Amino acid sequence: MSSATHGAKLLSFLQKAGRSGFSLLRRSLALGFSNQDSPLNHLGALTIYFCWIVLISGIWLLIFFRTSVSGAFESVEYLTREQWYVGGIMRSLHRYASDAAIVTILLHVINEFSRDTYRLKRWFSWVTGMPLIWMIFPLGITGYWLVWDELAQYVAITSAELLDRIPVFTDSMAANFLSDVSLSDRFFTLMAFLHLIGLPLFLVFGIWLHVFRLSKPNINPPRALMGGTLICMLVLSLVFPADSQSKADLAMAPQTIELDWFYLHAYPLVQMWSPGWVWALLLGLSALVVLAPWLPPAKALPAAKVDLDNCNGCRRCADDCPFEAIRMAPRSDGQAYELEAVVDSDLCTSCGLCVGACPTSTPFRSRSALIPGIDLPDRSAAMLRESINRTANKLSGENRIIVFACSRSDARTELLKAGQAVVDVRCMGQLPPSFADYVLSRDLADGVLLAGCRSGDCKYRYGMRWAEQRISRQRDPRLRKRVNNQRIACGWQQHWSTRGSVLKMLGAFQADLEAQRAEARWRPDTVGTEESAS
Amino acid sequence: MKYLVQFIAYFAFAAIVGLLSVWPRYQLLAPDQAIISLTISHAGQRVGECRRLTQEELNELAPNMRKPVDCPRERHSIGVEFRADGAVLYQEILPPSGLWADGKATVYQRLQIDAGSHNLFIGMNDSGSGGGFDYDMTTVRDILPGQNLVIDFDELQQAFVFR
Repeated sequence: MSSATHGAKLLSFLQKAGRSGFSLLRRSLALGFSNQDSPLNHLGALTIYFCWIVLISGIWLLIFFRTSVSGAFESVEYLTREQWYVGGIMRSLHRYASDAAIVTILLHVINEFSRDTYRLKRWFSWVTGMPLIWMIFPLGITGYWLVWDELAQYVAITSAELLDRIPVFTDSMAANFLSDVSLSDRFFTLMAFLHLIGLPLFLVFGIWLHVFRLSKPNINPPRALMGGTLICMLVLSLVFPADSQSKADLAMAPQTIELDWFYLHAYPLVQMWSPGWVWALLLGLSALVVLAPWLPPAKALPAAKVDLDNCNGCRRCADDCPFEAIRMAPRSDGQAYELEAVVDSDLCTSCGLCVGACPTSTPFRSRSALIPGIDLPDRSAAMLRESINRTANKLSGENRIIVFACSRSDARTELLKAGQAVVDVRCMGQLPPSFADYVLSRDLADGVLLAGCRSGDCKYRYGMRWAEQRISRQRDPRLRKRVNNQRIACGWQQHWSTRGSVLKMLGAFQADLEAQRAEARWRPDTVGTEESAS
Repeated sequence: MKYLVQFIAYFAFAAIVGLLSVWPRYQLLAPDQAIISLTISHAGQRVGECRRLTQEELNELAPNMRKPVDCPRERHSIGVEFRADGAVLYQEILPPSGLWADGKATVYQRLQIDAGSHNLFIGMNDSGSGGGFDYDMTTVRDILPGQNLVIDFDELQQAFVFR
């Protein structure tokens, strides 16, 4: 077996393990959080939110902080003890929000890895995440340095030993921390500059770059989650306030220290191994993470293609594209429309959300070939219609259901295992609502089940959200009013997709259709509008 | 039920954050141990002797480059050895820094040692000669638990300093 095959198997195993872990966590959290408020759907946004808490609490600390060898420790002690009701809480919030950011970053990385959303055209956000990690750690480490207690002494000496290993310094930096005489106030000014201005500025730029290729990036968690998290951090700060250790004394070596394992987990390795090996480990791991999108290399799907004869420049595809891959440009073919859609094939992930947004993507066209204004070359709207017709021919009896399933969803695997015919779509957002209309109005089936991915697990960010909004007539192109959307079920709605199996969901939907049939009336209502976050 | 699950989720998150920010405590040094910090930054002697240029050689140089003495830039590596109660705790040959090997050689080493009275020896060779030390010092020190004893080389006094 080749090494590439081994690599692919290992990758698949790791991603599956990650997905299983997240699925378990998601199911547990679903008992208390709605889809919209689930922390797992807002890990990146939560990290940014924690950075806001760190910034605001940090401004308060800065007002009272003295940047000198003798003043640093005393000013932090003043904040912690004399001014515990504000300064102490702010200090604790500052620490705990910084630590919480590491937890959410770690979960965010594992989540994106296990969902396979970091490869091919989406490498950019993944790769630009690594410098953010490299910035956030020095930010935390310099923060501990400024307190100038025993932990700071340990951090200063060990950091200097690490920096000494870089072959650009001739004199040993660590030698500066051998006596109080050799330590200067200017050193604290430098640390304060790095911690307060230098690194945060780079961090803001890094976050901007990280979400640069995403359309409508999710940078703010829902208010309920923000409120809950802030209360959680405040209670932790009051119950277990952050405290300093003994004042740094360079004539003595600290014997035991309370280490912040979120930021300083690599530091004990400097003593156990050597600075060189720690650098090798950190740089090796970073290189592995940065190269992960190409390990092993994957084949890109063909980008969406615009057919100008059918494109009227309505810009719905550009609005719905989650990756900024479509821009509107002046018309180039002389038609009487102002704009035309242009696809950037370097950014297009071939998710098909643009096809679902295109009003010309309708299966009712019979006089001309089904060629929408924008389409996926390898999974076209015409192929989709053909697949629907083929699947419908296999259905018989009452309560016939056509199931649409995302090609990578667990639901699809489960349905196929049970022998249920499904119509594959790359992402549920690829399905224009007119296709559900087509199934029901042509009596190809009695119901339509959109068995997407599990809630919050959409690989293409907005697929399930857009599909749901189109079916509930909140987003263009809307489902026509003549269609009874009680006969269309969105499988990712929480009560089904997070806790139950898709087969149970199918059975429940069939029973629901049966009940509707028994009542001999179709309720002209809308389906739920709960949004699934990306 | 909903609020109970939320409470448990937030509590678990806070517990993880609060706990791992200070626990488990990390033991840097056993209670009966101390640190000796060996920190020397010293330029070895030049590899070659300075040589006075002949008049003919000076004439060949541009007027502004006519320096009467030509000294080679390269310096010797320095050899450092540290012993406690006769046991060698550190022994290294340290090359000079710089692209032309003309800078200082530097050592920074933290060594753990049991607290108590010790016979300490530090020696340094900077002349490239094979045997012996150009500078050395022997002293008996009472080292306290947790103490950080620094051994430095004073360039002005050309002697080792224990502080």
